[in-house]
Amino acid sequence: MSTESDAASVPPPRRRSVVRIESLAVLALFCGVLSFLSPYFLSVANILNVLLATSVIGVLAYGATFVIAAAGIDLSLGSVLGLAGVAGALSMNQLGLPWPAGVLVFLAAGAACGCMNGLIVTLGRIPPFIVTLGTLGVARGLALVLTNGAPVYGLDPAFVYLGQGRPAGIPTPVIIFLGVGAICHFVLSYTRFGKYAVVIGDNESAARAMGIRVDRLRVALYSLAGLLAGVSGLLFAARTNAGDPTAGVSYELTAITATVLGGTNLFGGRATIFGTLVGALIMGVLQNGLNLMAVSSFYQQILIGVVLVLAVWLDQINQRRAKR
Amino acid sequence: MSLLEISDVEKHFGPVQVLRGVSLTVESGEIVALVGDNGAGKSTLMKTITGVHNLDGGTIRFDGVSLARKEPGEIRSLGIEMIYQDLALAKLQDVASNIFLGREPTIRFLGTPIRIIDRSRTEREAEKMIKKLGARLPSVTYAVGELSGGQQQSVAIARALTFNPKLVIMDEPTAALAVREVEHVLELIRTLRAQGIAVILISHRLTDVFAVCDRIVVLRQGAVIADDPTRNTSMNAVVAHIVGAVEPAHQGNAR
Amino acid sequence: MLKRMFAGLSLAALALGFIASGAAAADKPVYAVLMKTLSNPFWNAMEQGIKAGAEKAGVDVLVQAVESETATEAQLNTCNTMLERKPPALISSAINPTILLPCLKQATDMNILVVDLDFDLDHDIAKKAGVKIAFSIGSDNYAGGGKAAEWLVSKLGKDAKGPVLVIEGLAGNGNGGKRAHGFADAVVKLAPGLSVVGILPGDWDRQKAANITNDILTRNPDLVAIFCSNDTMALGAVEAAYAAGKGDKITIIGFDGTTDAVKSIKDGRLGASVAQLPYLVGSQAVEKTKAVLAGGTADEMTYVPTLVLTKQLFSENKDPLLQYLR
Repeated sequence: MSTESDAASVPPPRRRSVVRIESLAVLALFCGVLSFLSPYFLSVANILNVLLATSVIGVLAYGATFVIAAAGIDLSLGSVLGLAGVAGALSMNQLGLPWPAGVLVFLAAGAACGCMNGLIVTLGRIPPFIVTLGTLGVARGLALVLTNGAPVYGLDPAFVYLGQGRPAGIPTPVIIFLGVGAICHFVLSYTRFGKYAVVIGDNESAARAMGIRVDRLRVALYSLAGLLAGVSGLLFAARTNAGDPTAGVSYELTAITATVLGGTNLFGGRATIFGTLVGALIMGVLQNGLNLMAVSSFYQQILIGVVLVLAVWLDQINQRRAKR
Repeated sequence: MSLLEISDVEKHFGPVQVLRGVSLTVESGEIVALVGDNGAGKSTLMKTITGVHNLDGGTIRFDGVSLARKEPGEIRSLGIEMIYQDLALAKLQDVASNIFLGREPTIRFLGTPIRIIDRSRTEREAEKMIKKLGARLPSVTYAVGELSGGQQQSVAIARALTFNPKLVIMDEPTAALAVREVEHVLELIRTLRAQGIAVILISHRLTDVFAVCDRIVVLRQGAVIADDPTRNTSMNAVVAHIVGAVEPAHQGNAR
Repeated sequence: MLKRMFAGLSLAALALGFIASGAAAADKPVYAVLMKTLSNPFWNAMEQGIKAGAEKAGVDVLVQAVESETATEAQLNTCNTMLERKPPALISSAINPTILLPCLKQATDMNILVVDLDFDLDHDIAKKAGVKIAFSIGSDNYAGGGKAAEWLVSKLGKDAKGPVLVIEGLAGNGNGGKRAHGFADAVVKLAPGLSVVGILPGDWDRQKAANITNDILTRNPDLVAIFCSNDTMALGAVEAAYAAGKGDKITIIGFDGTTDAVKSIKDGRLGASVAQLPYLVGSQAVEKTKAVLAGGTADEMTYVPTLVLTKQLFSENKDPLLQYLR
């Protein structure tokens, strides 16, 4: 084999970056513009508020990332957040469980819903859009039934610290948001589980042919998303000191938006947890900025929709440029 | 005992009978061509060997071990590898990841029982295998989707050869290649034979088949209608078998 | 190239932001007002009242709302953001009695005056959570029911006799119950000849109220009046009464003063409706906040009067409270 072109130059090894640079750029741009438009934006108090306001959605978005990586989707995440929140609150208030056991109830309730989603998608061979659309209604309805429509107020103060405490001045939900993010990033980027998740989204038949247990993995991914929704439900309940059956309405849409904004491919095969964190922050900064500038919440909704479409459009342009 | 013994294998999908009692054998170091028209059952037969499909009848034994109801991962570890016509590569993953797909080497994370993929080892060994094959890739860290068709096929071949297979099945490996690349693949097949590795070659290109194979098996409508050593047959005879212009002379008897 | 543009723009903006952050103080005090949602006429009217009250009091207000009545976390986040401006007062209408408590506690700790708009907070729970509510202000639903009774007795006379039907909202619901009981308690005191045959739940539903009216008319064909805790139910009762041929014999009173009710009153079918005055609630909230900040006091539960809308009221057009009807 001739080696003429080898001698010319050895191309550098191409490392997949942890986050898409465009997402960071957009975040930086928004922060820059907002700090110009409002004198309150750059204060420590406000930055902490932004992080705090982003924590619940952020953790939910991590779950969305794993599912979307494998070319799936989960529309029930917000409802699972609500149901897990109610289950956890009731377990502590009505069943009298100590708060560490209550924490497990939040997680188990979320994981159980996710597992059910995964099993129906896999065994029933029904598209996840439909399955999770159904769970969205069932979970929300169940939460309302369990609480008779009213929030379960007044939880164990030790538990509430998880949502309202400020160790070293940093709100606990922020610490959990960043910590869980680090763990999720580790799982997605370093373990076989994480790799197989994106490979399934990339080429499912190839994954099967190579002996990857696609069905089992799919159930595990939906269960993981449910578990993370349980963590979100826990944070929400602790922040608001109540198990609220209406918690998380429409949150799944914001979570999916954050995921896409961060660079994860909506159709699977490429995913980044750190990107999702940045995407969630972009949404959070945008909302915070519009609040600071007292823009009506009606315009806020329009702007957020526009940002999503722009983000996906930029992503498509980028992908077409990269293809030969 | 032959390396691979396929006896009276049957497979149907609903009311459609795709394989009607296929029998053939393959010896170590033998290159067997499997030819036939579209819909003859070649892909289905290969998928029953690699464990993607279950058998509805008959047996398959590899090295004396029955392959019935085994998972694709198990069958790979027994030493059967397949290079698919569509290559079955994850285009967004890099070369090294594709080569080790499903069998990544792992190391412990900071001494804990948690296992992470050993990236440096996969890259090193992937580079070794690519170099051994003589393929020209910019780097094993490039995404497979960024490579040319011929380069992608090298990756698929490297993946099939990395874990010391005993039998390699190639489905239309030369169909989309340029002349020089085709010769490269045929050379590779001969090298495999020299190493005692058996090859089943599915191909429409009879010139390639006659250039490199020891035996030619013709499949028609789910059954073997010809199974002859290459030197005992001719391209015309093979074509006639494929289109069904000749009465089946040999009934599925392997050497 | 695009990336460099991004970077340059961001750096320039950040720099300007640093410079601008110094000058964060304003000259007129700005009260923070956090509402539930602005997507219905009741809250729109309240916002207008707030702005009018601010102008009269010579202060500025920053009014914010969230996108729906279920966006609880969003309201909490907005509340936290509003505190960054260190306003002298925070006037809030919480989506539920507990969601804003963490933020209101922080406001209390920052010595910001906390005002509860429209009785959304529970004073006991708030106190336990460390929140000091300066005052709660809103319509007096109980007194509103009483005013309806006063008007009825003024129309029928103190020695009126006969059965009266009361239809409340959801069984045990706060406002519906207050209105119903306010009416029932007052009517028997003002005209002892009248008797309340029952306080039944109409679930705020027009059809249900109509059914209840029919059933009670069967038992008490000499019914003289019906009071409903909202206009939707009252209009249902009106239809049932007229269908039974008793439309001009029964006086029917509703609550809320909606456009449909006003039309029915002007047409002479619905007798009266007790209107809340959210515009007045809003403006008084701001004025009283200013007064308290200046060292004055306000009742812990400050009630804003309601207005009984009748055909006569509209034709005379003299009542001073009419100006607050929006």
